[in-house]
Amino acid sequence: MSSVIEAPKRRIAKLPAQAVGGACATVGVVLLLVPGVMWAALGVELLALAFWLWARALPDRAEQMPRWAWLRRPAMALWLATALAWVLPPPMGLQGLATVLELPQWVAPASAAERDPLAMLRALQSLAVLWAGLELLAALPLSRPYPDLTGPLPAVGPWLTAMLPGTGFLVLWRQSAVWSSGPLVREIAAAALLLAAALAVLRAYSRRSLTASLRWLAVFDSALAAMLLAVDAVPGEVAALLWLATAGGRLTALAAELRGAAARRGPELTFLWRLAGWSASASLAWPLLVAVGFSRARLHPIEFVLLAAPIFLAARLSLSRIVEAPERRALERPDPLSALSRAGALGTMLLGPLALMIAWWRGFEGSFPGVAIALLPAALAWWRPPRNEVRPAGSQRTPGVAGASARDFALNAFRAVTAFEQRLAVALAALARALGAPARDLHSGDAQEYLLFLVGISVLALLLPLLR
Amino acid sequence: MTPALLPPSAAAALLTLVAAMLLRAVHPARPGVFAPLSLVVSIAALAPLAWAVAAPLEVSPLRAVLLAALAIALLARDPRELSQTECALKLTWVLGAAFALSASGTALLTLAAGTAVPHEQWSALALSLDPYALWSAALLMTLLAGLVLLGGAPFHFWPADVIHGSRAWLAPLIVASLQASGAAWLLHSLASLQGFAQGEKLTRGLLSLAAVVALVGGAVTLAAQRRPERRVGGLASLQGALVLVAFSVDPLRAPFASLGPYSLAAWAAHLALALTGATALAHFLPVSSVESDPPPALARRHPWSAAAAAYALLSLAGAPGTPGAMLWLEVARRLAATRHPGLLAALLLAWLVAFAVAARETRRLFGAPTSMPAPEATVPRFARIALWAVAGGLAALLLAWSLAEQVAG
Repeated sequence: MSSVIEAPKRRIAKLPAQAVGGACATVGVVLLLVPGVMWAALGVELLALAFWLWARALPDRAEQMPRWAWLRRPAMALWLATALAWVLPPPMGLQGLATVLELPQWVAPASAAERDPLAMLRALQSLAVLWAGLELLAALPLSRPYPDLTGPLPAVGPWLTAMLPGTGFLVLWRQSAVWSSGPLVREIAAAALLLAAALAVLRAYSRRSLTASLRWLAVFDSALAAMLLAVDAVPGEVAALLWLATAGGRLTALAAELRGAAARRGPELTFLWRLAGWSASASLAWPLLVAVGFSRARLHPIEFVLLAAPIFLAARLSLSRIVEAPERRALERPDPLSALSRAGALGTMLLGPLALMIAWWRGFEGSFPGVAIALLPAALAWWRPPRNEVRPAGSQRTPGVAGASARDFALNAFRAVTAFEQRLAVALAALARALGAPARDLHSGDAQEYLLFLVGISVLALLLPLLR
Repeated sequence: MTPALLPPSAAAALLTLVAAMLLRAVHPARPGVFAPLSLVVSIAALAPLAWAVAAPLEVSPLRAVLLAALAIALLARDPRELSQTECALKLTWVLGAAFALSASGTALLTLAAGTAVPHEQWSALALSLDPYALWSAALLMTLLAGLVLLGGAPFHFWPADVIHGSRAWLAPLIVASLQASGAAWLLHSLASLQGFAQGEKLTRGLLSLAAVVALVGGAVTLAAQRRPERRVGGLASLQGALVLVAFSVDPLRAPFASLGPYSLAAWAAHLALALTGATALAHFLPVSSVESDPPPALARRHPWSAAAAAYALLSLAGAPGTPGAMLWLEVARRLAATRHPGLLAALLLAWLVAFAVAARETRRLFGAPTSMPAPEATVPRFARIALWAVAGGLAALLLAWSLAEQVAG
């Protein structure tokens, strides 16, 4: 009887947590769009609060709450950047942060009059914003594995973790003035994002389920879009549009997948979504390959290959992972979601080329044959090696069947890198604990020890002047 | 009425006294002849401590010694309170030795300068007739009592001990008044230094070193604390470090000048108010728990009162949106304006740790919802009123300081 009475009570208790969390997350994401580091800090703090509220309302809260506690780290990094923005005076006689963070100035400082004593703190501010953005993007070791997990809100769990890399991109995009004007910070960002993109696409390839693959592809797209900002390939608004086309397309596809595989109903819609995913992915990758691989009108082969390989794999996944869902009903019913899904696919397909047109309009250009070669990785994704196997008529080709050994390789590569990172983080934490242990035991709490300590300090005070 | 007794700092000190009395009323008076008068006696005993908070500039070295004696007497008055008497013993050792060493420093200085009048001492020493080692050692020793009273690391043990070991109504005023006395001690010791360049340089160097040690040591030990009361003590120690930083930038100027003419009083009043709320909260928190544990009785039965207490804790840590944040920002701005990147970095580290610890405690306070029935015993009404009074006082301080800053800016 008591359980009958308590059940509605529990529902009532859960409802506000979900609603309040939803409101916090929505306001948080909106705040990320507002310029100013303080709003970004508040936005990420609200996002962390939303995850905490959702996690504490779940039955497995003991597992969920620590799992999402890391979200306070990017919030703290942004609060640090906010504090520095409030405190630091504008640099005197310097053209923004770029001059402060130039590598040559660190190696051979300018004259005393030109030197900014607060340069390190300005660099710290840039790095704090970058840290926050990268961590939300799953581009830092400690937060790397989170896209594998479903979020703490059961109804939209898988979608929630696909949204987080988007918030990382929003932080990096809206606060790009703080971090992207210094070449050193930009180099660090580009390196971290390249690694994150490569690992994300490997993980997307190694996962069999479409929802998991889409989550990792959202990480990949957000990392590439952020890299556009880091290498200053296109204006921020264009990068945001390209991100919206790719990651937004993945999020829409994921939402459709969670609503009864609405993106894969019928051959026409399935093909449309494949084309949309590929088109958006190619639009995002093309200016990046042009800017990185062919900057200063010459080929940079190592950078090009490092970037082209994951781009090819991602484009291939966009085409191969979306397979038509088997129709189990005898009579196909009209589905209202199908029109919505079709509109989403069309929007995704058109937005990327539209963003490229805007980029061209605003001065983006590349040299020939660079612009053509940069299209190759995405274009090659259409090519399929001929297969000798004969499939029985009517059977569906599923992504789980082919390429098992390649998938094992991708999985092992991802696990090796993340395991190494985790061990490094554990070792550093252990070192910090060992170094901090004396601080914990500095005073045993014994009254006699206090007196001895004070006498020791005073003896030191007497001796210090003699050592001058 | 002295100027320093004007609102808002005096009002905040009065509010702290009221909150302390409300928390005192939670504990039934021990039976005895003076039981009916216990409240009056408590007010009379705590009033000098509240006065020191309201008007720290009026606290001379002699008054600081008397205040310390009063604090020790208050802690030691009941032999049945073992933890409080232990705190009294520790404070006696530490403060007794610190005062004795500072008195020795003053005597040495008199010996070196040939006069006991502070203003004449520095003029005499400026003639460079005396050995550097003598007067510099003497100068450092005179400052020692101020440094110990401020409670910055490595002297951070006593605020945590007092908050851990004594009653929630008594500890905050003792800690805040002694820390305010420490700031006043330093001000008095340094006031006569003006014009003596060598002494100023030495003091600036010493205070900078002490500030860095207080900030970094305080941050590291705060992160390592295992009990909520000691975490509050660690936060109080960082408030002392904040004053040290302000002094190290300009030893001859009272810190927190942008908060108005009664700046040190404003800092002390905020410290007392925030410490009262945070200490009360720490006594409600479980000693050892994780975020997913059920919340304590305060948050389960009275979540809004818990939120009011959490605001005090967050203010003590300097979280954004609290008056405490304005104090940290004020000091940080002065460091940036005077180009002290090292000290500013240490300050940022300490602030980050303090904010992170306070946020974690707040999450622990609200824990995770549970289907178990709420505990029968409610949190006493007087305690909840005290928490609300503290939160209201802090909000009023935030408003007053924001207005003062706008007028000044």
